[in-house]
Amino acid sequence: MSMQLLVNALVNAALIAPPAMAFSLLFGILRFPNFAIGGYITVGAFAAYTLNVPLGLPLLVASAGSMVITGLVVWLIHILVFKPMHKESAVTLLVVSIAVTLILESVIRIFYSADVRGFDVPLQRPYRIGDMRITKEQIEILVCAVVLAIGLHLLLKHTRIGRAMRAVSDNPMLAAIRGVDAARVTAFTTVLCGAIFGLTGVFAGLDLVIEPLIGWNLTIPIFAAAILGGIGSPYGAIVGALMVGLAEELTILVLPSTYKLGVGFVIIAVLLLVRPQGLFGTAEIKK
Amino acid sequence: MPEPVLSVSGVRSGYGRTVICDEIDLSVEAGRITCIIGPNGAGKSTLLKTIAGVLRPMAGSIRVKGVEIAGQPAAQVARSGMAYVPQEANVFRALTTHENLAMGGWIDESRTRAAREQVYEMFPDLKPLAQVQGGNLSGGQRQMVAFGMALMLEPEVLLLDEPSAGLSPLMTGQMFETVSRVNESGVAILMVEQNAVQGLKIAHEGIVMAAGRIALRAPAEELLTSSDVSELYLGTRA
Repeated sequence: MSMQLLVNALVNAALIAPPAMAFSLLFGILRFPNFAIGGYITVGAFAAYTLNVPLGLPLLVASAGSMVITGLVVWLIHILVFKPMHKESAVTLLVVSIAVTLILESVIRIFYSADVRGFDVPLQRPYRIGDMRITKEQIEILVCAVVLAIGLHLLLKHTRIGRAMRAVSDNPMLAAIRGVDAARVTAFTTVLCGAIFGLTGVFAGLDLVIEPLIGWNLTIPIFAAAILGGIGSPYGAIVGALMVGLAEELTILVLPSTYKLGVGFVIIAVLLLVRPQGLFGTAEIKK
Repeated sequence: MPEPVLSVSGVRSGYGRTVICDEIDLSVEAGRITCIIGPNGAGKSTLLKTIAGVLRPMAGSIRVKGVEIAGQPAAQVARSGMAYVPQEANVFRALTTHENLAMGGWIDESRTRAAREQVYEMFPDLKPLAQVQGGNLSGGQRQMVAFGMALMLEPEVLLLDEPSAGLSPLMTGQMFETVSRVNESGVAILMVEQNAVQGLKIAHEGIVMAAGRIALRAPAEELLTSSDVSELYLGTRA
């Protein structure tokens, strides 16, 4: 396996891992697979683009702004759409979440058209190490993903709110019996995950191009990584992202790159047949 | 007669529109154990869930230390000085014993460190399991963690739903000993127990529930020696 392929796989995984962790966290708290993540990532990319290009803010500030805006958008959508429907089945909520993505992408198309855009960042030659090439943006994505994963781990394991998030995700009834206010934990989780989706939009905009379908194209690999790791297990999502990233890159060796997107679907199909609980999930036993 | 710490009057509860228990009146005083027995489906666990705020009562009043809590959500009821130990799913499977106990003290974390040491003193077998996840504990160990969690905030009222469920005879004896010890420190305990003989032996008062209503209420000793109750609910002949 060439080093270049490994680097590409790692960058791919770095792009997928943070939103896959956020997807898993959201699933743990809200109990349905939220396909609106595609729309959230698109909102993140366009929020950062608006701050960076028309408003002329540095990309770092635009990224922070995008995280705040997307966090608030995700929270608002939770309050206006998902919370009033919380008694509906997971399948109903899944379908609604797809509708949310379509609405968000259509609204963005109205304001920004379907044109392809990019951030205002100086063009730089990629760094070369032997035959291997890596761009400054790809290094930034890798570093940010590692920092985010460590940050999330510290949050979940060593903070009061992190413990509450794990408790509500594990057993919402028992968490309430012990005095945890699930509504506050849910609000915090949605804003936090929204911020991660916002940052993913920035990463995707840096690695690819900014267009209304930017989030939708990432949804299947993210979903595949999350279920590969065991849906609801944020740590498993990191391993899932690495495997999806690697699988997508390996596919390019034998198939045209247009088939890369299909890898996620294949992984989901195989997993659902062989190990539906994912690599790190626990099988649910129903009496 | 001392003022009851928990008083329930005219409570009706159930799932959806289905009434499971009705016209429930009971009270528990400080330092007393009341044991609820009865056949499966009598509404015992539903009653406990309703008192704990897990289910919303359809009617009636529930007071802890004179304060009305009926209709409040479980997270709010947890702040009233009452702790509930459910029969099933009573520990966080993904959290370690240490973290589970911390969740028991969630409302007031300033006391967590000291309270956790007290729980480890009460259940020395738990200390070596501090870093073991709840999902990897045995049934008995899980029951100890669940009980320990409920004790973290030094509650004045404890609601125990079948504390001996799934335990070996040896563990069952130890569990009832622990319940008695906690009660001796002045905690009022309302306990639902399928193991009726053992439950009534440590209780001061017994309540027999049948078809969602209180069929009989008497001192526990009296119920243990009553031939009717023995035959119907205790599986023994007095």
